[in-house]
Amino acid sequence: SFLQGSKLEIPLWLAKGLHDSKRRIISVELPKIYREAWRTVFSADANVVDLHKMGPYYYGFGSQLLNFENPENPEIAQTDCLCSLQTFVARFRRIMDSSQNAYNEDTSALVARLDELERALFQVGQKGLNDFQCWEKGQASQITASSLVQNYGKRKLTEVDG
Amino acid sequence: MEPAEVEFLAEKELVTIVPNFSLDRIHLIGGDLGPFNPGLPVEVPVWLAINLKQRQKCRLIPPDWMDVGKLEEIRDQERKEDTFTPMPSPYYMELTKLLLNYASDNIPRADEIRTLVKDTWDTRMAKLRLSADSFVRQQEAHAKLDNLTLLEINTAGSFLTQALDHMYKLRTNLQPGESSHSQDF
Repeated sequence: SFLQGSKLEIPLWLAKGLHDSKRRIISVELPKIYREAWRTVFSADANVVDLHKMGPYYYGFGSQLLNFENPENPEIAQTDCLCSLQTFVARFRRIMDSSQNAYNEDTSALVARLDELERALFQVGQKGLNDFQCWEKGQASQITASSLVQNYGKRKLTEVDG
Repeated sequence: MEPAEVEFLAEKELVTIVPNFSLDRIHLIGGDLGPFNPGLPVEVPVWLAINLKQRQKCRLIPPDWMDVGKLEEIRDQERKEDTFTPMPSPYYMELTKLLLNYASDNIPRADEIRTLVKDTWDTRMAKLRLSADSFVRQQEAHAKLDNLTLLEINTAGSFLTQALDHMYKLRTNLQPGESSHSQDF
């Protein structure tokens, strides 16, 4: 049982289930990074922020937090959304350029500070580039073993038995 | 689309060949081809030209625009202008790759041509990204880019549409009274 007024950390899905703007069983506290202080960091240079450390689902989580709008302070939700959108817009260029230019390189440094949504976007950009490069080299018309099949050989006998 | 699919479409473009065999007109579903007479230039779709070339039944005549002087002009103009130069063929990249791969012996200064076309491609793609970034920053609703080719659109397209999708979702969160209980992310 919980004491009224106590502070807890619960998963988002549970908070969503408990939340009811009429009965006010719980009120949700906005995580640090969605608050005022961090917003100034984002507007200074959104590109330096490590959104993966912050998140790793910065945009998705941020969108979900809107479900817990505090009716006494509706502007907070608006400014948060705007901040997310502006952050995305500011970081867009770098993600686009790096995903469409990094061919056959180790991209771990490039994606380290991206949140999951940005990483998925990065992969899409890479696919576009890789497909093009592969085609240009004439590899698009070559039959090669699927990478799935190539991995079969790595399985050990003990794994198959167990 | 896969680049291979775009290439498939490009192969319908016509190119001039000089056959070394004789054949009466052939009637294909897509249209008639030929007749073919040794030594007489004839226009055929690229897919057939390449097939004949591989079987050593013809030599290829490069299109007018596949010339170092012309391509240098195009490359220079592309670098100078902010907008996209109209390209001599809507499939310039695909045709260059195909013809240089299969018939480089029929194309003078083939290596220079390859480099010039690639340079022009790189410039255009960079311009496309610049344009996309400016579109996103200003959060425009509508943009029109003339003179892009299908392969260029295809290479950058999926990234751009997915990014714009995300922006749309983030923007609709701003609507008041929106009950966004979706788990789309």
